[in-house]
Amino acid sequence: MKDMIHEAEVHSAAKMYVAEYAEGKLSRREFLTRTTALGVSAAAAYGLIGLPAPAQAQEAKVGGKIRVAMEVKGTKDPRLADWPQIANIYRGWLEYLIQYNNDGSFEGRLLESWEANADATQYTLKVRQGVTWNNGEPFTADDVVRNFARWTDGNVEGNAMASRFTGLVDEATKTMREGAVVKLDDSTVQLNLTASDIAIVANLSDYPAAVVHSSFQDGQDPASNPIGTGPYIPQEVSVGQKAVLVRAPNHTWWGGTAPLDEITYVDFGTDPAAMVALFSSDEVDANYESVGEFIDILDGMELVKEELTTASTIVVRMNSSSDLYKDKAVRSAVQLAVDPNVVLELGYNNLGKTGENHHAFPIHPEYPTLPAQTINPAGLMPALEAAGLKDAQFEVISLDDGWEAATTAAVQAQLKDAGMNIKHTVMPGSTFWNDWQKYPFSSTTWNHRPLAVQNMSLAYTSTGSWNETAMANPEFDALMAKALSLADADQRRELMVQMCTILQDEGYIINPFSRSLFSHHKDGYAGLEHHPAFEHHHYKWSMA
Amino acid sequence: MGLFVLRRLGVMLLTAIALTFVVFYLTNLQPNLEKLARTEGSVRMTEEAVQDWIAQNGHSGSVFLRYGQWLGVVPGWTYTDEKGQMRGRCFAIGQDAAAAPDYCGLLQGNWGFSTFFKTPVMASLGDKLAATGWLMLAVMLVMVPTSLILGVLSGMREGSATDRTLSTFSIASTATPEYVSGVVLVALFATAATGISPILAEYGLIEPKKTLFLASATSAMDDITFWNFTLPVMTIALYGIGYIARMTRASMTEVMTQQYIRTARLKGVPFRTVVMRHALRNALIAPFTVIMLQFPWLLNGVVIVESLFNYKGFGWTLVQAASNNDIPLLLACSVVAVVVVLLTQLISDIGYVFLNPRIRLA
Repeated sequence: MKDMIHEAEVHSAAKMYVAEYAEGKLSRREFLTRTTALGVSAAAAYGLIGLPAPAQAQEAKVGGKIRVAMEVKGTKDPRLADWPQIANIYRGWLEYLIQYNNDGSFEGRLLESWEANADATQYTLKVRQGVTWNNGEPFTADDVVRNFARWTDGNVEGNAMASRFTGLVDEATKTMREGAVVKLDDSTVQLNLTASDIAIVANLSDYPAAVVHSSFQDGQDPASNPIGTGPYIPQEVSVGQKAVLVRAPNHTWWGGTAPLDEITYVDFGTDPAAMVALFSSDEVDANYESVGEFIDILDGMELVKEELTTASTIVVRMNSSSDLYKDKAVRSAVQLAVDPNVVLELGYNNLGKTGENHHAFPIHPEYPTLPAQTINPAGLMPALEAAGLKDAQFEVISLDDGWEAATTAAVQAQLKDAGMNIKHTVMPGSTFWNDWQKYPFSSTTWNHRPLAVQNMSLAYTSTGSWNETAMANPEFDALMAKALSLADADQRRELMVQMCTILQDEGYIINPFSRSLFSHHKDGYAGLEHHPAFEHHHYKWSMA
Repeated sequence: MGLFVLRRLGVMLLTAIALTFVVFYLTNLQPNLEKLARTEGSVRMTEEAVQDWIAQNGHSGSVFLRYGQWLGVVPGWTYTDEKGQMRGRCFAIGQDAAAAPDYCGLLQGNWGFSTFFKTPVMASLGDKLAATGWLMLAVMLVMVPTSLILGVLSGMREGSATDRTLSTFSIASTATPEYVSGVVLVALFATAATGISPILAEYGLIEPKKTLFLASATSAMDDITFWNFTLPVMTIALYGIGYIARMTRASMTEVMTQQYIRTARLKGVPFRTVVMRHALRNALIAPFTVIMLQFPWLLNGVVIVESLFNYKGFGWTLVQAASNNDIPLLLACSVVAVVVVLLTQLISDIGYVFLNPRIRLA
């Protein structure tokens, strides 16, 4: 990470960003996200704008244990993982090629560095040397190639990675294209994409992209055969109860010594009220997330609060395969009948920033500035009447507790005030997620992603695997295809102006706010900063 | 007597088979299998992928044949994917398929693999049953003596002030369902902001803790203390105390009006001796059945309390198994339920004989 980058090797776009940063057009976070995505190391990126890289914990104290309250879900084949909590357990022994840090930068972990060509169709990955698996075998370029083959395998049901590497996939066989991922030498792998893809780096850092050993069988539970490169191994994973990570025996971790001896995750359910009792009774040292009114209560308990503003958000969306919402005028009227300020206050205690109904936020490098929408509850009933839905019974569905329910209730209340005959139905998580893409009108939480186009391509293109609105707008699809080939965020922003306008006009989504994330831990621990994607970087944790 | 026990065991076996088939059929309905596919595969699978997953993981074909696999009378399923890797009922991913047995059901002693807990069913259910066993034991230790004392005290002098007071308490406690009393108890004793805990904390009586009792029993899995176990135990016990006390009182009042009690009183036997020696044994026959009936009732009473207090026992397991459609685990849970219900009834029938010599078992 400390390697020096010569002026000549720096990506030309990065130099442009330096100029933009100097002119004040880019914030520090945006600058870091964009330059590191181009292959500039975090330390070098800080250097380019004349800032010292944040000091790594200087020789953190080794030793100590921590108990973290988190749902313990069954670990599964990483590429099938559907919750950050699942990944937080296997993160103990499985590592990533690239890591997304909570300051918005990308850091090479199992890769030493990477480079993109000018139109982002070719990436050169430098494999970190001196990394060993905890069974003693060395980590090599072959491991990287093999993992790419796993990720690109579209024949595996539920493979979350396959749809993210379309540029590497052979469409006919739905597996890795011949020549897409090439081992140049023992320490270099080259990615040859069929089309530009700017999200490769971000995708490699996402939680299903954990790198597994050659002995890992498809569909296996990684905890049953915990061979990995990371500093810990699972001592116990009892689903719904607890998971214990301990130091891997006889293993020299490439990163040195991870400070903590033992990390225990305890599953106390999801009731936030229980968390208060747990902290006060010294049952836990840290929690996964603090929510809603409990943030204030926990603040008053001599705990350290970690806060992070993200692009995590909730989308209350309509689905046009339902007869009720197939009419664009109806959707727009519904969207504009909801005041985001009210939803933020009632649904999330003002612990965030209002959104603009287009699923992009100021934290994203390509965030476009659009004219503000006019909220108009009076326009709702005329639109419903025109569509012959004046007396129709509407229903909005949400999870049964927490801020998701409160936010949805705030949306429903405003629609009701505007004259709509709408009820709010709640469901437990185990039922809700089975059909989350199909409900006519429901709320869905979306995690933070580093680039705005990542969520938008998954959710709003006609082929997006997580499309829950049934939106199919050819113009939007075309713009997105183009945006995904532009490594330059300014150029992308011009397209984003159009895409976000289309999203607003189509009226599918009410996107009232983005969330700040909070967590608490006891005094005496260091390195537990909250992460925008709820990632736990165990090796950063230590006793203060 | 031996024949009677044998007949009861036969009934138990038939009931278990019938019930498990019903459970198996219900958990194998198409929407439930899709739910399983989504939790096991990925929530974000497409409709098509879900159907493939169901077919490739042994959930397609006749429901009778699959039930037969669970019983161990039909060979377990196997599937070979396009890369030639095999998976099947009788071996884990990564194990040698050739070395695995063809049959691996109940008859072979294999209760299956819990899809939610990712462990063999017997292992995970064993721990959970032990946890619930501790909870039940604590409940019984509190509930039985308390309720019998309350019932006898109020029944020995029907209509007295003691009787009226205790009856009011019993009716109130038995009329309060657990999900109400649990929440009330937590609010009263286990919140730092309301109830009596802030008052006690102010006087420094419960230092360094902030509440009198803990509202979560998760830590009782490792170490049972008054602090973490009182509330769940009291929540279950309160309901049962009222109920058993009412039964005991009714039985006691009836006995107290019997001729032989009057005779004893007229002979000048002290009231205390009359109650202890003459009335009690006869009065306890009815409560005995009720107490034995409490076992199966406890088994489903713990569903609410274990979920409320996050105590990972049988009830909590049942909730997790049901909400994640964990087929082998749900089947095992139903077998356990059948055995517990019928076994306690058997014990209560046999116990009758000893309490009441007039009853003979054929």
